Order: sequence, then C-alpha cells, then structure tokens
Amino acid sequence: MRHTNKSFLKQKLNQKETIVLELKNLHAEVEGEGIEILKGVNLKVNKGEIHAIMGPNGSGKSTLAKVVAGHPEYEVTGGDIIYNGESILEMDPDERAHAGVFLAFQYPVEVPGVTNTTLLRESYNTIAASRGREELDPLEFDDYIREKLDLVEMNPDFLERSVNAGFSGGEKKRNEIFQMAVLQPTLSLLDETDSGLDIDALRVVSDGINKLHGEEDAIVLITHYQRLLNYIIPDFVHVMIGGKIVKSGGKELAFELEEKGYDWLESLAKVNGEAK
Amino acid sequence: MGNLTKAEPSILHNLAIHAPENTPQWSNVRGKNLKALNSTAFPHRKIEEWRFTDLKPIERTEFVPLSEAGVLPATDIEKYFIPESDRSRLVFINGRFQEKYSSIGGLGKGVTVGNLNANASHETVSSYFDKLVNYEEDVFTMFNGVMFEDGAFIHLEKGAKAEAPIQVLNLYTDASKPFVATPRMLVVAEEESDVTIIEDHIGLSENRYLTIPVCEVKTKKGAHIHHVRIQRDSINALHVSRPIAYVEKNAEYHSYTITLGAKLSRNEPRVVQEDEEVNFTLDGLVLIDGEQIADTHSVMDHRFSHANSHQLHKVVVNGSAHSIFNGKIFVRRDAQKIDSFQENRNLLLSIDGLVNTKPQLEIFADDVLCSHGATIGQLDPEEVFYLQSRGMTEEKAKEVLTYAFALETIENVKVESVHKLLIEEVYRYTKANSVEKVTA
Repeated sequence: MRHTNKSFLKQKLNQKETIVLELKNLHAEVEGEGIEILKGVNLKVNKGEIHAIMGPNGSGKSTLAKVVAGHPEYEVTGGDIIYNGESILEMDPDERAHAGVFLAFQYPVEVPGVTNTTLLRESYNTIAASRGREELDPLEFDDYIREKLDLVEMNPDFLERSVNAGFSGGEKKRNEIFQMAVLQPTLSLLDETDSGLDIDALRVVSDGINKLHGEEDAIVLITHYQRLLNYIIPDFVHVMIGGKIVKSGGKELAFELEEKGYDWLESLAKVNGEAK
Repeated sequence: MGNLTKAEPSILHNLAIHAPENTPQWSNVRGKNLKALNSTAFPHRKIEEWRFTDLKPIERTEFVPLSEAGVLPATDIEKYFIPESDRSRLVFINGRFQEKYSSIGGLGKGVTVGNLNANASHETVSSYFDKLVNYEEDVFTMFNGVMFEDGAFIHLEKGAKAEAPIQVLNLYTDASKPFVATPRMLVVAEEESDVTIIEDHIGLSENRYLTIPVCEVKTKKGAHIHHVRIQRDSINALHVSRPIAYVEKNAEYHSYTITLGAKLSRNEPRVVQEDEEVNFTLDGLVLIDGEQIADTHSVMDHRFSHANSHQLHKVVVNGSAHSIFNGKIFVRRDAQKIDSFQENRNLLLSIDGLVNTKPQLEIFADDVLCSHGATIGQLDPEEVFYLQSRGMTEEKAKEVLTYAFALETIENVKVESVHKLLIEEVYRYTKANSVEKVTA
C-alpha cells in the first residue's frame, strides 16, 4: 500500500491527537520501601479504545492503576506517564481527576457522615469547573444524577446514604460505576470491577460501562478473570507478569489465557527479563 | 489525701476564706463546704485521678473576687439565644442571674424555670440542693458550695412535658483581672415528666477566668431528660465542671457534651442508676487545637439490674493540644442484665498532639454485656486518596473526613437550631484546621 506524504502526515497527526494515555518504560516502587513493583511498563491507549490488563495476583496490575491515578503510596522511579500529550507525574491525584482521569477502586472506601449526593456534587462541580463545564446547583444536580442512577439500576434512596457505609461488596462496585457515569471521565481505570459481583450485577455493571463508553473516552480494565470480557469486549488485551507487560494481543488472547492459564507466559516473562 | 497540714493553701482556698461572703441567705451549705475545703488539699499529679492533667494554670493565676475583677458589660447577648427557647431561657453573666435577658414562666403550669434565689422556698430546692453532689474529696465542688451566689432551677411536676427546650446560657465577660465564676444548676424531673435542656457556656472575649459549674440532676420514675452541654469558653479560660445525674426506675437521661473552648477543661460527668430498667447516655465530642487541654473523667454507675447505657466519646486533636479520657463503668454486684457500650475514638491531626485514654471497667456482676474500645489514629491515607481521586484537594479531603468523624456524636441532638449550630462549629473547626493539616 502506498501513502502520499500528505495523507501519511495527516494520519500521524491524528494519531498523536488520539492518544489518551501513554506509559513509557514506567518504573514504580512502594514509597520508602525500595521494593520495585512496576519494572518498565509500556502501553498506548487511544480514544475510543478499551484495553484489558490481565495477569496473576501480585503481577502489579492494580498498582499500575493506582500509579496512573497518583496514589501517594507509590513513587515513580523511572519512565513517564503521558496523558493527553502531557506528563502527569507531577500532578496530585485531584489534579489528575480534574483532567479527566478516573479510578474505580477495587476496594472502595467507606466515608460515614458524607452522603453520596454531597460527595458527587462536590466532585462534579470541582471537575466541571476545571474542565470548563457548567457547574450545577443542587436542584439541577439532582435531576442530572437521577438519570445516571438508572444506568446502574440503583435505588434513589441510596443517594442520601453515606458513601459506601454499610454497602455490600456488589453495591460498592456499582457505586464506583455510578460515580464514573456522573463524572464523565476521559480515561477510566477500572480495577477488578467484576470481583464481588454476582452474575446479574455483573451484567448491569457491564451494560452501564458499555453505555458510558464512546468515541471520546478510553477504558482500561484491570481484571484477573476473563469473565468480565464476555460482557465488555476489549480492543486489546495485555498480560502483565512480574511488573511488566509480557504479551499483548486482541480479545482472543483473553480466551487463550482462560484456556491455558498464566503459566505458559511466566517463562516468557523470565526470558524477557533476562534478555534485558 | 485530704489533709491540708502539709500542703500550702491554694488560690482557691485563699479566695474562699477572704472573699466577701455573697452566698444567699436561704442556703445553709456554705459553712459545711468551707469546713470541708479547709481540710482538703488541692489536687496534684501524684494523685492517679490527676496524673495527666497539670493544674498549674489554675494554681498560678492570681484570681480575684468578681467584685474586684473589673468586669466589662456583656453586649450583643441576643445572638446566643436559641429561637426554640424564647419562652424558656435563663441567662447568667459570670454566674449572676440576668432577669432582663431571661424568659421564665412561659412553659405553663407544671414547669418551673427560674433562678435558685427566687425559688428558695420551693420544697424541691431544700430537699435536693447540694445533696446530690457526690465527688470524692473534691476541692472544686466544695469551692462552688462556698462561693455560689445563685443558679438555675428547673423543676417539672409529675407528668409535665416541657413543650420547648430550656436554654441555660452562661456568659463570661472580659475583665481586667482573672476571676472565678461558680454557676449552679438544679434540675428535678418528677415522675413521667419530660424536658430538654441546652446548657451553654460562652466566653465573650479571650480573657482568663475560671468557671466551676456544678449541676445536680434528678430523673425520677419514668421521666426523660435530654441534656446538651456546650462548652465554648474563652481560649484562655479554665473550666472545671461537675454535672451529676441520678436515674430512677424506667427513667432516661441522655447527655451530650461538646467541648470546644478553654485552655484547660476538666469535665466529670456522672450518672448514677437508682433503680431497675433505666436508659442513659453520656456522649461527648471534643475538638481542640493549639495549646488546649481537655480532660473528661466520667463515671457510669450501674447499681441495679436492667440498664442500657451508652458512651461515645470522640476527640479530634490538632496543634499541640492534649486530650485525656478516663471512662469508668461500674457494674455493682447483683446489677445483672446490664448492656453497656463505651467507645473512645481519637483522631490525631498533628505530630505534636497528645492523647491519653483509659477505659476503666469494674464489673462485679456476671450476667452483663459491656463492650468498650479506645482507638487513637490519624486520617486513613486510603480514604484521603479516595476523595482526592474524586477531585477534592488534599486539604478538602482531610476536612471532609474530619467533619465526618466528628459529626456522628451530634446527630442525636434533637433541637434543630442547636444541631445546626453544632454542625457549624464542627465545620468551623475542620475549616480552620485544614491549613495546618497540610503542613503537618
């Protein structure tokens, strides 16, 4: 196939505009402990794409999500995180949230005394202000979030309950996706969102995520099992072992992992590790 | 203990002996208390009960009698009035009753709201005044007994329900010299009566004074008392309070103490069970900063079977403030089927803050359920990160979490304007402290 110079240039330009997240040889360790968990992660995520990061327990996939969101427990010791064309390494977690990064927690935190509505209105308005969207007053906001409730089939009563306090594991996970719906992030990092969900809840949550996903945003799913990927079809699947991405492929890679487990890739991780 | 022969008389002893005698004619408790005071030594840190609390700020202050202190008039008093109590308010300035600001007699038949001096002939006053006080070897209650001039009197006849909360407003004014105030309060709720009391202590300036409020409460058969105590003394004030409540059969006494002010405060709430089937609460919220010292030594005395008691004591410490908690729970022999809950939770926001906590359960019955716990912690970094990841700044996240921590203890305050006021106080504290939290 031949390209004219002009169309090649245009394609390249477009490509640059569409990269949402780029991890460049990212190294990170637990702050103050010197234990390296991410050992050179490379990843490119474009607008409109869904990426799944899979791997055995302890491979560093949850850490990866937390590091991108800016968790203070981890220190980036090498490489870079480029979000929408700029390094976000120096940004606080709230600044990253303002820029459109969203992390759905594996273990959402309970905040007794603060209602869901209060938290969400506060969040929505701070993020809206920094992204040039219009802030909503309590009445407007009420209308706005009620629409979003339907998306994850949540009872409106839950809006006046304290954030995650006394919620079941499944409710907490739904709440994370509900927050994602309200905050409309550009990059969503969903950390083990499927764990703790029964099959009906998994369907509801997955449908919600699929409806939220569009041309302008990107999703990174962190998951241990292939199960979630039956509901949310990824464009790319990456396997993380020992703090690195050792294999990438299309959605069929997930099926292969389901069949063969991670063992056959462990050796690959070693070879790669030694080769470098 | 209790022998003055070796100890120097304290400033309180000297004041009691030399100050002009202003105790009212009707009361005959001065002599008794003066005698006791003269044979009781001022407490010090070698006594277990005072181990963590240094009383030097009291000992080293040259207090003068109120008449010599050069007190300034109180202005702008109305802003402290709660709207619910416009017909049931008692105002005291530096311990002296202010008839023109008070509103009495508005709650109708069966409810007496007034000052002790005007109600001296009431048989309840002669039956109970100074007779419910029960603090061992306590210089402060004795001093109050020698020096008091007047006090609040609240009485509910059998079956009477106070239709509005009663506000007892204690204001302390600015003065050129430090003075001592000795407020008194006597509350007697006869059988099946019901009342809500808001006791407020407010320092109008930043001057040093010592206030020693003594409060006696009798909750008779089936009566209900809801008692909110707010301490917003001057930042240099010293506050030593002695509220004691007795609870008879089927009665309920619920108290909520909010400690915000004073350089040094020592609060010793006590509840004594007098019969079976009672229910009582002794909750507390302490928000301190800077150099403040807030000490709570409480007693919940279960003397009969079938009692439900609840004590949630929450503390937030910032700066180099110091909180002390000693919660005694007694369950006497034969006091079976007691369900008692005690929890002291401390949130330390700064490196220099200090917390001493000592739950103290003394249980001599075998069929009881007593749960207790004490925790001291900082804000959970995972919780801070969670809120930050939702767009809140670190300061804001810490503010919200501190606010959430504190809020739980005031949820049971039923009077709307007071609940709102306390939320504002909590908010003001968390807000004022957010800057320091970031640098800490």
